[in-house]
Amino acid sequence: MNTKTLNFSLNGLAESIEVTPRTRLLDALRSNLQLTGTKEGCGTGDCGSCTVLLDGNAVNSCMVAALQVEGCEVTTIEGVGKPGNLHPVQQAMVQEGGIQCGFCTPGMVMSLKSLFDEQTNPDEETVRVAISSNLCRCTGYTKIIEAARALGAGEVNADKAINKNGALGSRMTRIDAEQKVTGRAVYAEDVQLPRMIYGVVLRSPHAHAKILSIDTSEAEQIAGVKAIVSARDTEMDYFGYELQDYRVFAVDKVRFRGEPVAAVAATTIDIARHAASKIRIDYEELPAVFDPEEAMTDDAPLVHDDCSAYALDWETERSGNLCYRLEIDDGDIEKGFAEADEIIEAEYETPEAHPGSIEPHSSTAMPDANGRITVWTTTQKPFAFRSFLAKALKRPVSTFKVIPTQIGGGFGGKLFPCLEPYAVLLAERADRPVQMTLTREEEMYGTLLRHPAKVKLKTGVKKDGTLVAHSVRMLFNTGAFGLYGPNTAALASLMATGPYRIPNVSITGLVTYTNNVPCGSVRCPGGPQMAFAVEAHIDKIARTINMDPLALRLKNAWEDGDYTCSGQKLESVSMKECLQKAANAIDWDKPRQLGEGKGIAANWWVSGTWGTQSLIESNEDGTFRLITGTVDMGPGGLNSSVLQLAAQGLGVPVDSITLVQGDTDSMPWDHGTGGSRMTFTIGKSAFEAAEDIKQQLLEEAARDLEASVNDLELVKDRVQVQGDPDSHVLLSKLCYQRHKKHGGPMVGVSSVLDDPTPTTKKHPVGGFPAASFCAHAVELSVDDSTGEIDLKRYAAVHDVGNAINPTGCEGQIEGGVAMGLGMALMEEIREDKGRVMNPGFADYLLLTAEDMPPTQTILVEQPAVEGPFGIKGVGEPPTAPPTGAVANALVDALDLDVTRLPLTPEEVSARIRIRQS
Amino acid sequence: MINDFDFLQARSLTEALDILSANSDVLAIAGGTNVMVNMKRAPLETECLLDLSKLDELKTISEENNCIRLGAGVTFSHLLNWKPGGVIEDLMQPMCRAFAGPLIRNLATVGGNVCDASAAADLTPVLVALDASVELQSASDGIRTLNLVDFLQGVRKTARRKDELLTAITFSRPDADDCCFYYKLGKRKADAISIVSLAMIVKLEKDKVASSRISLGAVAPVAIRATTAEKILQGAILNDETIRACTEAAISDSSPIDDFRAGGDYRRQMVGVLVEKGLNAINNA
Ligand SMILES: Cc1cc2nc3c(=O)[nH]c(=O)nc-3n(C[C@H](O)[C@H](O)[C@H](O)COP(=O)(O)OP(=O)(O)OC[C@H]3O[C@@H](n4cnc5c(N)ncnc54)[C@H](O)[C@@H]3O)c2cc1C
Ligand code: FES
Ligand code: FES
Repeated sequence: MNTKTLNFSLNGLAESIEVTPRTRLLDALRSNLQLTGTKEGCGTGDCGSCTVLLDGNAVNSCMVAALQVEGCEVTTIEGVGKPGNLHPVQQAMVQEGGIQCGFCTPGMVMSLKSLFDEQTNPDEETVRVAISSNLCRCTGYTKIIEAARALGAGEVNADKAINKNGALGSRMTRIDAEQKVTGRAVYAEDVQLPRMIYGVVLRSPHAHAKILSIDTSEAEQIAGVKAIVSARDTEMDYFGYELQDYRVFAVDKVRFRGEPVAAVAATTIDIARHAASKIRIDYEELPAVFDPEEAMTDDAPLVHDDCSAYALDWETERSGNLCYRLEIDDGDIEKGFAEADEIIEAEYETPEAHPGSIEPHSSTAMPDANGRITVWTTTQKPFAFRSFLAKALKRPVSTFKVIPTQIGGGFGGKLFPCLEPYAVLLAERADRPVQMTLTREEEMYGTLLRHPAKVKLKTGVKKDGTLVAHSVRMLFNTGAFGLYGPNTAALASLMATGPYRIPNVSITGLVTYTNNVPCGSVRCPGGPQMAFAVEAHIDKIARTINMDPLALRLKNAWEDGDYTCSGQKLESVSMKECLQKAANAIDWDKPRQLGEGKGIAANWWVSGTWGTQSLIESNEDGTFRLITGTVDMGPGGLNSSVLQLAAQGLGVPVDSITLVQGDTDSMPWDHGTGGSRMTFTIGKSAFEAAEDIKQQLLEEAARDLEASVNDLELVKDRVQVQGDPDSHVLLSKLCYQRHKKHGGPMVGVSSVLDDPTPTTKKHPVGGFPAASFCAHAVELSVDDSTGEIDLKRYAAVHDVGNAINPTGCEGQIEGGVAMGLGMALMEEIREDKGRVMNPGFADYLLLTAEDMPPTQTILVEQPAVEGPFGIKGVGEPPTAPPTGAVANALVDALDLDVTRLPLTPEEVSARIRIRQS
Repeated sequence: MINDFDFLQARSLTEALDILSANSDVLAIAGGTNVMVNMKRAPLETECLLDLSKLDELKTISEENNCIRLGAGVTFSHLLNWKPGGVIEDLMQPMCRAFAGPLIRNLATVGGNVCDASAAADLTPVLVALDASVELQSASDGIRTLNLVDFLQGVRKTARRKDELLTAITFSRPDADDCCFYYKLGKRKADAISIVSLAMIVKLEKDKVASSRISLGAVAPVAIRATTAEKILQGAILNDETIRACTEAAISDSSPIDDFRAGGDYRRQMVGVLVEKGLNAINNA
């Protein structure tokens, strides 16, 4: 393509570059000028991650053709502030904790800068409007709005912005804040390698079809095409987690619209796309099935010929399109219903949803001369990805070195490889680095979604509100592959009674295959679905027996010693405290105005799963390295509370410990991030590794000081005799001696074991340590003519056991609330015969800053029995209760029957009409 | 092969018009907020992009003899900051606040919104209610003026000839005591696509409606006038009965589609709801 010279001013300096008419300003910055602080979350103007200032105005750089800025002044995040010399807006974001995954942060900073260039003290409404084009999936905007308030109020200063106090309970600044707020953090698509080319996946245009032939000859002839791969020339095996039913390419037939059938790499992405469009595939369409109930009928088309042939770790009954079935019983359900004064039945439905990370999937693979392949990727599980690649492509695990980059949000969406295998195959074929990035459109049907669910509940209650029987039928539509279907059903079953004591329970979980986009394990899998069904049902019960919904909950809420449906005995149960605090926060007992309603919902969740191992090594100068194989997908636990716990274990200041971030060659193996395990599991092992190395230091010092270990204490940078600080030895000396003598560091090690939590029942996932409890309450008003809901205020109460870093805990909660509210109000993947109708952020709507209600976050700290420090996980649970709380508040306002999400104006309006007729 | 296109930046309106008359396949780009989205989704089918963003002569708002002239290159941020007072301000301000988000508002132009001719465009119902005209200019024929409702011919179809640019939108300032109402119904508070939008101007004389213009967005291929509804209002007293009849008429004036953004039934009902809201608001003011 013809290039032209573009002259403009960039961050105050003259620039002259060659671009094509097709080059967007965003590409000119990221590719031509290698300024990768400006991000691409969508490319369609909907997310704001590409925000720059153009002649002083904040604009989306993906919406501007590069040649349009001839003679203009452009300011990017790189021109705003540097680490060590932050712009006041950046200081405010760091100080108030407005940064999590950091992917939206550069754009957010640019929008805020443009606001503060015009006004010094904008009001909250103005701030919300100013950042309403900038989507953030992590923070719920709350701390970003707080940052703007603090800046306007003159409460931000450079010295105080970064809090280095690593004591437990301190709001220590996460250590990656500065690199993220300045756009210096390197995400997967920022990786640039010499000779790198670009790949795309060719996907099935049909929901269900036989592949008759694949002809790549025309595509191969296109100049610039370097590699094409498909099932024809790839050695493949099935892979997955519990259930292994997935292969890298479709073989013989495609099962959903979007399934990969081939991949192409070329010197530019445009050529690769063009070549992909020239691959001729002959399909013969097959009858397809999309509805999960229909899928279970005898004459439904089979998505998999024999699904029972796939390896599955758990016992189950499988046949036809039934991917998984789960039955759990407790007590005597018939007897329970016989005892009931009222029996309340309803069916609830939640839609397919998207994890919604603003960062799209991106991976880069590079083969080396020894036959090994390095993969840079945005993953929650670097080691699992190595195993996936090995299994999927039938290679030894040692073939792959996975280098996790910064993760621009995961939420369960980055647990499963959706580009890595193709990048690897193409890179091998082309013998050069290949980078692949999903477009936002592909993100919506080429990755795993949240399971849509239908939940039938039948509950028996006594007049006084005692719940006596509860029968549950949960149906999850897993789409074309069942990768996480069984796991989702199993986790959901734990939530099927809510946090309530019900003696007689019968739960059936069904997971069906259909020709829809497959589903995965999205933040709090099963949680929002069950929280909606169960909590809406509890309110329905309360109305039936004419009891206050809060009182009904308090009457039945779990207490210490109660059991989950898998027979796990619960300890440190704070359910009632959470409920009461949430209710108080929105003045539950005060009367409602016309058209206004209040709703409350409770939930519980598990903390931490799987074991882990951490190492702490000494440096020769008496500082330390914390080594763990896990990654931080944004919440910040690894970048703050885990370090705080390590510092606590050692007794040294937190900044004398460096967090080592590496790759699967250099780091100890770990399961990765997910399951609310970061602070609970990794933090615990970091603490114990720190205690281990501390003991060694004390022993070393005892020899040096000729004292008894028991008389010594480690204080900051030295070991000293208690009560006699003059008798001391510096850590720097101890470590130097040790390194010199042993030719290596002192190493503290700790393994946290995955000991099964005892349960009285057989259950696929059984029990989990440190159950956590939460309750949310919301006040809203609704326009009963249009169906529009306006959230007035929100309260989220979470028992975190021990808030190691309160800012981090609150951030998780606020972000989870935003995600849950999204599901309650607007998020929904709309499929029409397997075609996603709303593939992008223009029609798959995340909450904006204007939609997020003022939110009060209340931390309860009732320590878990499992030590140390009584931590309970908080990463996932906040996502669940908003669905129930909003539904209940709506019912409170208008006395409707709410059984479906999301509560769009149209849905609310339909419910109002049903009530009227 | 991948199509190759050229890029030209016009430095003056004359230059832009000359380029258009000399080349048959030129696509104008102003704020780019439609063009760039289309380019992201599929290769652009054009030989040349003609950039209008440097044409300062298109970026002004002026008023002469009660006639307002919006240059085609005026952005929605500019429009939001414009304080003309009266009905114009009362319609334009809420429309602009509900238009996309601030980033897009800094780029998107009024000319682009009208020329893109999307069914869900938000400016056009306001302009239709203001009975606006568009000014089209070409190198060969100079300026011609068309009524906006004649200019908008269908979804992404306008009466613009290939060699023409839309240079301005003009409309008369409504009388100071005219009443108006604007409402955009979307799925979220910021940056939402219209499900239905309504702009109306009503002239009351004593307690009777002397005249009215009711315009609806996103319920027909283009922004429409609810003419049957307007007829019912003509000369009527604004009471519950009139409002009900007018609401019914507006619903029948609309012909919304059924899509994943909203069902046709809902859109139709909302036409009624918004018209009723509007008339009640005007009646109670
Ligand atoms: C995230 C996002 C949110 C949006 N939200 C809204 C919304 O809320 N409401 C709404 O109505 N729209 C919305 N849009 C659509 C778009 O922003 C508007 O239609 C905008 O007004 C287009 O103006 P532009 O200058 O950017 O057009 P461009 O993309 O530059 O041009 C649009 C079309 O008009 C033609 N054109 C432009 N100027 C002229 C001219 N002077 N003469 C002749 N032809 C011309 C171009 O050739 C092109 O075909 C949104 C778009 C995005 C990306
Ligand atoms: S990348 Fe430009 S707005 Fe999303
Ligand atoms: S911090 Fe905003 S998207 Fe992650």
